[in-house]
Amino acid sequence: MENLKTQLVVIAGGPSGLSAAVQAAEDGAEVILIEKAAITGGAANMGMGPLGIGTKYQQQQMIDITVEKAFNMFMDYTHYNVDARLIKRYFEQSGETIEWLEDLGVEFEGAFKYFPQSEATWHIVKTGNKIGPRAAGHMNKALLNRAQELGVKVLLETAGKKILKDDEGKVCGVVAVNKDGEEFTIECKAAVIATGGAGCNKEFILEETGLEQGKDMFNFAIPGLMGDGLKMAWEAGADHLPVRIEQACDLGGGEEASGSVKNVLRQPNLIVNKFGKRVMNEEYAQNTTYLSNVAMHQKDKVLYSIVDSTIVKSYVKNGVDVTSLVTPDPDVSDFYEGMDEVVSKGSKNFFKAETIEELAEMIGVDAEVLEETIDDYNDYCEGRDEEFFKNYRYLRKLRKGPFYCGTYHPGGYGTVGGIRINENCEVCDKDFMPIPGLYACGADSCNIYDDSYMFLLPGNSMGYAVNTGRIAGMEAAEYIED
Amino acid sequence: MATVNLTIDGKSIVADESKTVLEAALDNGIYIPHLCHHNDLHPNGGCRLCVVKQDGVDGVITSCSTKVKEGMVINTKDETAEKVRKLSCDLMFKTHPSECVGCPKYGKCQLASISQYVGDSGRDLRQQKLPLIENEENPLMLHEMYRCILCGRCVRACSELRGVGALKFEKIDGRMKVVINGNSLEEAGCQFCGACVEVCPTGSIRDKVGVFKDDPGLSREMTLVPCSEGCPAHINVPKYIRFIKEGNFPAAAATVREKAPFPESLGYICVHSCELQCKRNHLDGPLSIRNLKRFAASQDDGSWKEKAFMKAATGKKVAVIGAGPAGLTAGYYLKKLGHEVTIFEKLPKAGGQMRYGIPSYRLPREVLDREIAEIEAVGVEIKCNSDVKSATELKAQGYDAVFVSVGTHAGNKLPLEGNDLPGVYLNADFLRAINLDEPLPVGDNVVVLGGGNVAIDCAESALRLGAKHVVMTCLEAADKMTASEEEVTWAKEDGIVVENSRTFDAIESENGKVTGLTVTGIEGLKFGPKGPEFTRIPDSTVTFPADTIIFAVGQHPDIDEEFGLELNRGRVVTSDEHKTSEDGIYAAGDAVTGTRSVIAAIAEAREAVSEIDKYLGGDGNIEESLAPEQTLNPCIGKNEDLTKTHRNEPNVTDIEARKCNFEPMDLGFDCSKAGCEASRCLQCDLRVQISPQKFWSDYIEEEGGQQ
Repeated sequence: MENLKTQLVVIAGGPSGLSAAVQAAEDGAEVILIEKAAITGGAANMGMGPLGIGTKYQQQQMIDITVEKAFNMFMDYTHYNVDARLIKRYFEQSGETIEWLEDLGVEFEGAFKYFPQSEATWHIVKTGNKIGPRAAGHMNKALLNRAQELGVKVLLETAGKKILKDDEGKVCGVVAVNKDGEEFTIECKAAVIATGGAGCNKEFILEETGLEQGKDMFNFAIPGLMGDGLKMAWEAGADHLPVRIEQACDLGGGEEASGSVKNVLRQPNLIVNKFGKRVMNEEYAQNTTYLSNVAMHQKDKVLYSIVDSTIVKSYVKNGVDVTSLVTPDPDVSDFYEGMDEVVSKGSKNFFKAETIEELAEMIGVDAEVLEETIDDYNDYCEGRDEEFFKNYRYLRKLRKGPFYCGTYHPGGYGTVGGIRINENCEVCDKDFMPIPGLYACGADSCNIYDDSYMFLLPGNSMGYAVNTGRIAGMEAAEYIED
Repeated sequence: MATVNLTIDGKSIVADESKTVLEAALDNGIYIPHLCHHNDLHPNGGCRLCVVKQDGVDGVITSCSTKVKEGMVINTKDETAEKVRKLSCDLMFKTHPSECVGCPKYGKCQLASISQYVGDSGRDLRQQKLPLIENEENPLMLHEMYRCILCGRCVRACSELRGVGALKFEKIDGRMKVVINGNSLEEAGCQFCGACVEVCPTGSIRDKVGVFKDDPGLSREMTLVPCSEGCPAHINVPKYIRFIKEGNFPAAAATVREKAPFPESLGYICVHSCELQCKRNHLDGPLSIRNLKRFAASQDDGSWKEKAFMKAATGKKVAVIGAGPAGLTAGYYLKKLGHEVTIFEKLPKAGGQMRYGIPSYRLPREVLDREIAEIEAVGVEIKCNSDVKSATELKAQGYDAVFVSVGTHAGNKLPLEGNDLPGVYLNADFLRAINLDEPLPVGDNVVVLGGGNVAIDCAESALRLGAKHVVMTCLEAADKMTASEEEVTWAKEDGIVVENSRTFDAIESENGKVTGLTVTGIEGLKFGPKGPEFTRIPDSTVTFPADTIIFAVGQHPDIDEEFGLELNRGRVVTSDEHKTSEDGIYAAGDAVTGTRSVIAAIAEAREAVSEIDKYLGGDGNIEESLAPEQTLNPCIGKNEDLTKTHRNEPNVTDIEARKCNFEPMDLGFDCSKAGCEASRCLQCDLRVQISPQKFWSDYIEEEGGQQ
């Protein structure tokens, strides 16, 4: 494989890398984008759209969300533990980014909430079909098309291995390896790292977070996300910030189960811990970050969602209580088949029991305590939830077997954070000094959540990716020009 | 061949008349979505993604099954065609999971790629998800047919390409499914070739995790042929096994020799990393690759010699220090490259650890002598009894380059009291003395410290020198010993007692004579940066009686600063290019890596030779084709008995007959056993021949931007 030469190398072609490549090319840079997978788009092909603040959709929908409000919400939520300058620049730019995407031919359905308590910042990509998963694949395709039009050279099935620096410490090349395992060098003036974290790297996650995948943590292990960019950046001198899991609770410990089974067990009914006690107002379980945090604090890091036959019967007949954009369909009519299937496979995470006593035995919870908890809960259902103040609409009694149960574990998307950047997406060393020519964006650089993902402003992951990608692209193009 | 002219999307195209419209379009950089189509398979036109509009024809045509014709006008972006594609895509997602979460094929899935291109999102139709049933019956592949979109590529690959037909379509409960063609894989005659996995566009049929390495630094060939990848020298294992199956043993030997000049010695003593990676490990045990090599090499007729390269003299002089496997390999290729080579060997004969470490019951010396003679035959000069004290001084004597391959001929001694008593030996000294015909005396009770292959060599040699009772003891648990399983088994058969999970406390002595070794049981052994870490088990201290104690706990190079090279923990420091701290001096083998294996030394020496040759102005190319070309027959047919065969074990001398002398004890294979064993090979290299899957983004460069 021959060595190549360009001005800017973008390492990985998810939404952050694609945005960086397009932005840099629009600003006049010569760009090579390398992507390890056979398809561009990264994890975002599964997603639905980015965050935007102050967009025309929000105006049209009369949604009151401003940069000021979002910024203050965000800083309150994170207790100012994060880089305010970067947050400000990201939010400020996010509205214009929606228009920028529209100029590329991306269409949006509008601005949406993820769940009732959140703000409508989520700009879901229009596909011509109903709203649902994988919509953002269309955005990624538009970004790729634009990149190609602008002359960006896209090398697929090509992974980045190492950032090269010259004697002055400036980036001067990227070592890459193609699908035949051949190593080659791309000489360049600047590089953008955008490899999306290390969600699939079990050892890496254990080392960086102390969490064992499959035991403490059931995050999406998206193939290929091995922490390539983090390792490259640290090796090149970047400050090593904490790597965290972007938490979103897992139902079922990674076991496949039908949509109806998961939908029913995600409804805001009774949730207990290993001691058979309630631990939260279950209506907040819709905020999957909160729920994951709750699970993280329990014995064995586990929670149990329990429903009875009456509740299921009502859901099967009338649809579930709460839907979200990710599970928009209230219909769960095939719940029984799905449940029987997963139970008959000897599931360790989904249970069906004729009595509470039997269920308690299955999940290893003290039967007397669980019965007591359910008695109290049923009392609350007749009046008000004196324990955790849940809304009366979600108070449904558990009376009649069979009872169905699913386990919650801490879960999440991939990892976020690890590379120190400033508001210009320049990678910085321990002294906060930029490494000349090195930029990072997207999950590799996403140190903005501190301990909990900010679900109240949905679309944050992809919004951060696209916007920091653009920032990295425009800053890199300017650096190259100088 | 006749060609026709046609127009696709306004572009005039000349195509061979045998081509389909789809092929003609793709050849010219015009992408038409396609899924059931695969380069190596007959078209079936089932997925309806490749539909296009042909002028003058009603409706749309499937481009994968329509041949080009003179004057055809094709529009790939026709509105009806795009509608049909979208509908086809929607139909696939009717049963396919709509979320990719949890699918290991993510990022390499053709369905995902196409849905991105076509613009589907699969939500117009009511979903009808399939039961989430995995079929794990196949030990190498996972069938998760709820991801299947019925493109039929696997069925066609299995029948058309392989002639096996282990998969078929069948209507079950009113729904078409891909199922195993029989009651079991055996009955279906599955050959575990992986063609179905290779062509599957989704995550339905996949290799099980762990069967192949997931390392982006490996080429497709190295990933898919694990035995060759596992061999440090990357010997083409499937090729020579196929020659053995065909009865062409000299060709097999020549194939090995393309990468290593000691085919037969390796056949006796190679650590066979290839076998550890053999795909058949997941079925019924790996191929006995080493014994196959040994048998083939024993049948070598030298016919490879006429194909071996020999370059004209360059006038450059290279000195090699140490005539072990690394030094001899380097000398051999350097001479073939035209350089004048002198090998300096400290000991009386060439061979290094192959002669002075590995006992003769494992590697007969006539085999070694024969292979060294081949190296001398190309004109390599070997000066024995020549101890080189300094590599830099040697270079100054007029050599253009020096290659250091001094191996590890000094044993490591643990800091135990009494470690310098008479009757306490080091592995390297003990084994060398035997091979110099001056064996060190052993008492009745011998204790060997260590759990590697060298420890076994010491224990077995002690037994053969007359010891009555031999104990081996090591830190490692039985399943963590570095010695090969086979050798441990033989040692135990010979009556050697293996005491695992012990730490060594003290050498006991009386009046300056060794009387025993005291050890304590341990658990939780880990190797940290500061060496082994473990917990001592209380009340588990015992003393093994001994009048001879042999340390077999590692070896290091027998050189010091005087040698003139930078050392780290006694080993020669080199760069990735095998350069030492001194210009023009290169090093490889055990002296650099610590005690490893003959094949690793050979592989590293070959790399070093390329670097030295480049340093001397050559191109560094030492590749040669010594074996004849081989035609692979991908049509392997059914084999209902595949899982009924078992690994062939070599003939071995009886215990009583072998443990009292240094005669060879592993007799290897005869011709019929070799043939049987060779026919067990799953021919992993056949899968490499299947065209890799392409994605729409593979074509965009040519097309210059999408729709």
